[in-house]
Amino acid sequence: MRAVHGLDVWKIVQALVWAMLAVLLAWPLSGIVRASLLAHDHFGLGNFVEVFSQPRHLRAIGNTLLVGAGGMVGAMVLGVTLALLVVRVRLRGRAAIQTLAVLALVSPPFIGAYAWIVMFGANGAVRRGLMDIGITLPPIYGAGGVMLVFSFKFFPNVFLIVSAALAQVNRSLEEAAEGLGMSPMRRFWRITLPMITPAMSAAALLAFVLSIADFGTPQLIGRGFEVLATQAFQLYAADLGENPGLASALSLVLVALSMGLVVAQRRLLRRDVFHGNTLKPRPPARLAGWHQVGAHALAYLIVGIGIAPSLVVLVFSFRATRGPVFQPGFGLASYERVFHSVTAPVWNTLLYALTAMVGIVVLGTLIGYLVTRRKSLATAVLDGVLMVPYVVPGVVMGIGFVAAFNTPPLALTGTGAVIVLAIFIRRLPYAARAAATALRQVSPSLEDAAISLGLSPARAFLRVTARLILPGILAGGMMSFVTAMNELSSSLVLYVSGTITMPVRIYVAVVNGDYGVAAALSSILLAITAIAVYAAFRLSDRRQSALVG
Amino acid sequence: MTALTVTELMKSYAPGVRVLDGVSLTIASGEFFTLLGPSGCGKTTLLRCIAGFLQPDAGRIEADGTRLDTIPAHRRDIGMVFQDYAIFPHLTVADNVGFGLKARGMKAAEIAPKVVEALRMVRLDGLADRLPADMSGGQQQRIGLARAMAIRPRLLLMDEPLSNLDAKLRLELRADIRDLQRRLGITTVYVTHDQEEALAVSDRICVLQAGRIEQVATPFELYRTPASRFAAAFVGAMNFLPARIVGGGLEFAGQHLPMPGATAGAVEVAIRPEDVALGDGPIGLSGTVSNIAFLGREATVQIETPFGRIEHLAANPSADLLASLGRPVRLHLPAERIAIFAADGVRVPAAFA
Repeated sequence: MRAVHGLDVWKIVQALVWAMLAVLLAWPLSGIVRASLLAHDHFGLGNFVEVFSQPRHLRAIGNTLLVGAGGMVGAMVLGVTLALLVVRVRLRGRAAIQTLAVLALVSPPFIGAYAWIVMFGANGAVRRGLMDIGITLPPIYGAGGVMLVFSFKFFPNVFLIVSAALAQVNRSLEEAAEGLGMSPMRRFWRITLPMITPAMSAAALLAFVLSIADFGTPQLIGRGFEVLATQAFQLYAADLGENPGLASALSLVLVALSMGLVVAQRRLLRRDVFHGNTLKPRPPARLAGWHQVGAHALAYLIVGIGIAPSLVVLVFSFRATRGPVFQPGFGLASYERVFHSVTAPVWNTLLYALTAMVGIVVLGTLIGYLVTRRKSLATAVLDGVLMVPYVVPGVVMGIGFVAAFNTPPLALTGTGAVIVLAIFIRRLPYAARAAATALRQVSPSLEDAAISLGLSPARAFLRVTARLILPGILAGGMMSFVTAMNELSSSLVLYVSGTITMPVRIYVAVVNGDYGVAAALSSILLAITAIAVYAAFRLSDRRQSALVG
Repeated sequence: MTALTVTELMKSYAPGVRVLDGVSLTIASGEFFTLLGPSGCGKTTLLRCIAGFLQPDAGRIEADGTRLDTIPAHRRDIGMVFQDYAIFPHLTVADNVGFGLKARGMKAAEIAPKVVEALRMVRLDGLADRLPADMSGGQQQRIGLARAMAIRPRLLLMDEPLSNLDAKLRLELRADIRDLQRRLGITTVYVTHDQEEALAVSDRICVLQAGRIEQVATPFELYRTPASRFAAAFVGAMNFLPARIVGGGLEFAGQHLPMPGATAGAVEVAIRPEDVALGDGPIGLSGTVSNIAFLGREATVQIETPFGRIEHLAANPSADLLASLGRPVRLHLPAERIAIFAADGVRVPAAFA
């Protein structure tokens, strides 16, 4: 779209994108850096010295790496196993397994933590049931619980990435190995596994980064087990002895950990080294006898446990309550309380998520276009800069936003706008990536053809390219809506009583022990999420790609 | 009448790498003009500059006497046919063909008959309401052709339109394109890397290499009298044999052929395989048959000589010839069929005394 005369539309778009990134990304993050360098009103590295000398903070760093590694290993074991079963073995109800995995993926992150408490906490229903028959389990709290929840929370991400890669492995390569006399086991280790290594390392990285950035799970299940995200939040939000400088320094350590991992993974593996082809995929193997039963049992067990938290929450939302206490039997008391006293979070959440979604879809599409169709040094840098929100945990982004938008000219703290903007910048990279993926499927010559036939560049983009990527964009938009709606960590830092959202309200309810309200609100959130995901499925033929982005 | 003039066009994508290095061309009205060259020679870049998708760094493009390179692509009134067809998958065949007319604000009632006519031209009548997704590559490219023609452009540009098609379809569509172009008298610039295709369809061919023009000529001139070693090697098959010019004559295969006034130095003697003759003659050589490929109506015969390998193309090969593998053979190069190229690739007139 190089207009020969006049200003190129896309140059203006690019300038606007850079301005937006300066305000919403560079400005808040530089605020964190500035705050981290101010210890007790002295400029210097005092906060970092404290982080790296105080046992409490060093322990948090160690704990963060521990749960990151634990969550990653657990999610990889579960996700890769499920991917191999689904892609390579003939299973009954494959579509159902995939759908359940996707549902586990999109359910609000902290609902998992909460449901596991309901099942295996000090007063957990399952734990008490087991105790009645003589099996004593320790309560789920602590490092082990956090890692367990992470494993079942993040395995669907691994599953989707790895199964997509497995399905694309060039069939003739494996057949060639077979023809050369390799045994199936050796073939798997020597041919198949190396082919999916790039996808596996990307999936492992994602599980690690998600685990160390997660705030809700360690906050709810940790019970004294502190990670960087929770410690930064506490230092920031403490009524007494709050220490934004130290919180900022801890945040930066967390960002540095994520960033270091991403860079290391990129160094280790060039991206997209192995290309799939369009040959028919290898048909799933038919297993015999007990192997077949075992494969089914394992696959359904994994997705079953993955989806269990959502079911538990749903069941508990219909339990009878008196005040915050559950009573025997079922009833709608929890929903009554939600509709009488806590409707504001529902409306706030819908309003913020919809607003953020519109912004994410529009800007994400434009950025995706710049990155794929207007290749230059500037757009390559833009692509790189978009990795930043990916490695900045929500708590950190929230802290940065409070600092950046507290004073005029952008005094937004305490408004709904600041919550929307934080969600927007956090989820923008996913939408931009999804748009770029969709654009790569559309030949650039289509737009050239439209221009040569007499449409102006802007109209050619709207009438042809935008029209063709619309299903993918809308599906991506639905997923943005879902993640926006389920955002907890940045909102928790940024909310005031008038702008409280459902996830924050659920968090508050769980912390206060008001499990009935938490379950009812969670169920409402789950229901809206399910509707949005269903819409995304209907909009997109390529079901999983819309989710992996 | 001149339809398109390109003057001293320059284009670089990176500093120091000239994709177009001062290209000047004049194309006559109604001419079928082909840009031929290997990949990276600049032919597609030149085409995209004419289309307006690329802005040249320097130089001018004029059409019918008016400046074209200052007009945005969508107002140039140029039809374009793409290598990957670029058929809009979300529109029916009729909507694809009528796209340019609609963009010009034409009413649906006026568009319909023009679409029918354009589809009849490319022999796709009856498919107007289909979606292109389930149509073959050949059909899709016919839609592309009809779509570009429907706007009655002042210039038709084609960017390797046949290279994604299989061999049989390629020949068929090639003939159709040429036929249609002749009937409508539309000035056409055609890009290809396939020299046979270029010879078959073009009024004139421009051979490009490294952003420069090697030769502009009719297919016959280009094949028979290539102006440079590159053009000679790129278009058709050609034997190149080392030789020298010494003392006013060509020294080749142990013979001295007087060439008064020729500049001394190393040269190459070039001859087409079909011009190599078996038997004895003035410029004769001995060799051994090292390979024979029988292609039906002709056969290529590789002959190893002390002066290099020579390919001979035999029309209507005899059973004797096909059985001659490994046998010694005499061959000669008719003097009037020989081309001589200097070390810098420029052709030296072969004026034997």
